[in-house]
Amino acid sequence: MSRHRQPPRWGLALLVATAVLFSLPLLWLLVSSVKPATQLTEDPYSLLPSSWQWGNFREAVEAMPYLVYLTNSLILCIGTVVGSVLSCSLVAYGFARLRWRGRRLLFGIVIATMLLPWHVTMIPRFLLFRELGWYNHLTALIAPTFLGDAFFIFLLRQFFLSIPEELSEAARLDGLSEWSIFWRIILPLSKPAIATVALFQFIASWNDFGGPLLYLNDPQQFPLAYGLEQFVSSYSDQTHLLMAAAVLFTLPVIVLFVLAQRTFLEGISTTGLKE
Amino acid sequence: MMRALKRIPAGWWFISPWLLGLALLFIYPFVASLYWSFCRYDMLSAPRWIGTEHYQRIAAELWRGDGFGQALWNTAYFAALSVPLSIVLAVLLAVMLSWRVRGQVIFRTLFYLPAIIPLVASSILWMWLLNPTAGIVNHLLGWLGLAPQLWFNGIEEAASPSTLLSFGSKDALVLMSTWGVGNFMLIYLAALGDIPHQLYDAAELDGAGRFRRFRHLTLPMLSPLIFFNLVLGLIQSVQAFTQVYLVSEGTGEPIGSTLVLSLHLFLAAFQDLEMGYASAMAWLLFVILLIATALLFRWSRGWVHYRASLGG
Amino acid sequence: MQANNIDRLKLATGLLLLVLLIVLTATRPRASVPAGREEVVFWHFWGGHDRRVVEEIVNRFNQSQDRHFVRAVAMPGNNLDMKMFLAVTGGDPPDLINQDDPIVADWAHRGALLPLDEIASPAEIEQLNGWLLPAARQLGSYQQRLYGLANGLDIRALYYNRTLIEQRSGQPAPRQLASIEQLDRLAEACVVEDPDGQPTALGFLPDPRRLWAWGVVFGGAFYDADTKRVTAADPANVEALQWMASYRHRFGPDNLAAFRQGDQSLPGKTFPLLAGRYAIVLDGQWRVRDIRAARQQQLEQGQPPTEYGVWQLPAPRGRQAAAEGWVNGNLFLVPRGCRNAAGSWEFMKFWSGFGGHEAEAARIASQGGWIPVSQQVMDHPLFVQYLEENPLFAEFVRLAAGRQVPTPVIPGARLYYRQLNQAAGRLLYSKQELSARELLEQTTRAVQQHLQRLERHDAGSAGGGS
Repeated sequence: MSRHRQPPRWGLALLVATAVLFSLPLLWLLVSSVKPATQLTEDPYSLLPSSWQWGNFREAVEAMPYLVYLTNSLILCIGTVVGSVLSCSLVAYGFARLRWRGRRLLFGIVIATMLLPWHVTMIPRFLLFRELGWYNHLTALIAPTFLGDAFFIFLLRQFFLSIPEELSEAARLDGLSEWSIFWRIILPLSKPAIATVALFQFIASWNDFGGPLLYLNDPQQFPLAYGLEQFVSSYSDQTHLLMAAAVLFTLPVIVLFVLAQRTFLEGISTTGLKE
Repeated sequence: MMRALKRIPAGWWFISPWLLGLALLFIYPFVASLYWSFCRYDMLSAPRWIGTEHYQRIAAELWRGDGFGQALWNTAYFAALSVPLSIVLAVLLAVMLSWRVRGQVIFRTLFYLPAIIPLVASSILWMWLLNPTAGIVNHLLGWLGLAPQLWFNGIEEAASPSTLLSFGSKDALVLMSTWGVGNFMLIYLAALGDIPHQLYDAAELDGAGRFRRFRHLTLPMLSPLIFFNLVLGLIQSVQAFTQVYLVSEGTGEPIGSTLVLSLHLFLAAFQDLEMGYASAMAWLLFVILLIATALLFRWSRGWVHYRASLGG
Repeated sequence: MQANNIDRLKLATGLLLLVLLIVLTATRPRASVPAGREEVVFWHFWGGHDRRVVEEIVNRFNQSQDRHFVRAVAMPGNNLDMKMFLAVTGGDPPDLINQDDPIVADWAHRGALLPLDEIASPAEIEQLNGWLLPAARQLGSYQQRLYGLANGLDIRALYYNRTLIEQRSGQPAPRQLASIEQLDRLAEACVVEDPDGQPTALGFLPDPRRLWAWGVVFGGAFYDADTKRVTAADPANVEALQWMASYRHRFGPDNLAAFRQGDQSLPGKTFPLLAGRYAIVLDGQWRVRDIRAARQQQLEQGQPPTEYGVWQLPAPRGRQAAAEGWVNGNLFLVPRGCRNAAGSWEFMKFWSGFGGHEAEAARIASQGGWIPVSQQVMDHPLFVQYLEENPLFAEFVRLAAGRQVPTPVIPGARLYYRQLNQAAGRLLYSKQELSARELLEQTTRAVQQHLQRLERHDAGSAGGGS
């Protein structure tokens, strides 16, 4: 490995100092999750809980239909991941591995759609989903991912572009259809990029509460991210439960991230994003 | 019929999901919103055409500096500060993470974590951190010999926007948003790994020190990504809503200083029930973004270096 | 080709599972309703302790009859406006919603609400109008029709720290304030300074968001229903705002913003009176609970508890107060297009006490610490006893039955609220000296234009298509 990866002498110190600074809010989050409610209203700033209320976690879980919310979150996450991976890889393949007229223009439009603010599309989408009968169902949040997402299409296209053209040529000469080439050659080679898209989408869906805010009214359908909101009511102060719930809520994603780190970075790195 | 279908290039079939999405989720809303911007519309009854009245009103507000004008100023301030800051932070963090040190995974996770903390919790956390007397940020500033800042309590500045007295509510928002740079930081980190180490070796042989290597090698190599970050960052910061809503409890307090475009739009649509006016503002926002992006693209020619790519 | 078939199989199974998943999600059954009953979906935003109280009330109602079944949904987040609106638009609204008053006119105007006369008989409505306190009736009425039934009133008064006032002013605190000038004198007398001469506590500082209260007490009004004009710049309102602005320099140059900025948190979160930063604070009846908790804590720590009291808002000397204060509140509203309006009506009566439920309402009000909306509930022995145990709260209840002026029930009330608060805030906190009259006239123009636009757009449809 090249020497330039070696940190300067002050490198480790700087890293640690930055990490400490950066994590201060996180430390607060952890500490606040075990503080008693009274201490949070009087003295939220101290780093030491006056007493260690591990019961906050149990209380937070019991304060809402946790299992229902968790199931909904999982359904939402798995559904959207499948939707994104399937649709975005299909579309990216069409843009990257095939030559056809209008390809450049349409891909430009893909990028341009990222410019459209959500304020422009929010209400019309709502009305559309209402007509389709999806209002008040998780379907309203899952189905759109089957129609592609500009950012993921971009990522996957970059990755697909880096796979040598010869592979496809040889396969075509062998008489394979484009679909077969896609499904049996390109996709298996793209595992890191697919994993990246899956991870990004999972995290985004796990944390999404704007979607439920807009589309879901039935508590039986609420995902965890939205359930968290109930601790923030102007008429009550359950901040200690909010913090405890937030810790519980973030843990799975942290675990996922730690486990998937390497694949994740691999997936993005070969996408280059270097144009 | 089947023959005609067969003649369509495969590419179109592959992108058909996106095409459907384009029609349903973009073109239809695009046109609908545009139509509504010329109507009086409250969602409960059908839209009624009123011509350019909303746009005239927006022009008047821009002139007076309230309403849309105030929101535009708040948003521009926020974007102009938070986007460059985020980019700088993300790049620096990525460089630090690329060093070979013990416990890389821990550092990586710590720096990424803020990007996935629920906004509901992080908003409250930041309000505590930025408390003028007891919050740790001001304590840190004190150690550095700087005066304590008012952050969200900066009501005097909020009430008299022509003077920039101290770090106020908008600056607090900027701080909050830069904390969540994790996503782009990872992308930079991956890109750093792609830069061939031979280039660095050659530079070192030429006698270039660490900072020179960074300035003349790393940065240019990252420049396409930085540009991508710039454009996306601009789009995201202009649309920022959730954190501002949570922190100001949906009011744009103190004294309208945190009333960014998204919040103003939201209030106009759902509290004042003026969907037509909101649509007009959304459209203007889109046009502004288009122009800004086009300008950015033009400017980028001066400093973005593309490598020979493998296709596309 | 074997591999091909296995692949196809995997793909098919995967897609099938996915479809199953989505179908399951889409057809998830709602929580079950006991047989023979009709469901009433009730949205509210109470959380924590209040939420438990609400659930108990709902249980008692469900047990008291067997025709309807109320399902209370604590909708997350502070603001139900958007959700409610989308639900009505989406065609799936709840049967009953609890919301605060500014939206009544806007929603009623656009037909999103069912007027109560479409749910109850004319006799009941007439009786209801007589049964409700004037303030409660006004809050729920738009264009002479009742759209909402108030379930709690918010009254504001001046909380004061009796102990501190006696210490600093050398005299016992008066029973009631004789005039605003007396308030000013006490405000100045109760300043506490540190060795450097910097104030660490003040007697009183006005809050710009309370111009609504002071304007009415000074004799002003914010809307003239006869001429349909916004009257934010009414001379009495201007005078009230100018009085508030007089505090900018009362304790030294530019002290208002400077001192407020030292308050521990964003305005409204903690109660600065308890923190000792002020001797007198204007706030609503919900702070009684905070005071009780603080005094309890002092007792537990072995300290003598601080004594607090409540004053009615005073008027300038020599002037008869036109009104005793500003009132707003929470209302039950029935969205148009709901399934079980009759059930909503039964539940509303149960909670508020109308139709013979005074005892239940007294119980509810005591449990939740809410102000009842009818004199008959206030006079109920259960509630009278509660008041005896809570003298501070009793003062608010007494005021509620008096002359309280609500925020104007007009479309655009929320806009009016935001604009006026911003204008007042700018005047009080800005570094520059601004004109109260000018700011109020700006507000008037903005809101008046909003109303004119609404009228114009409405008229545009009459006789036209669409």
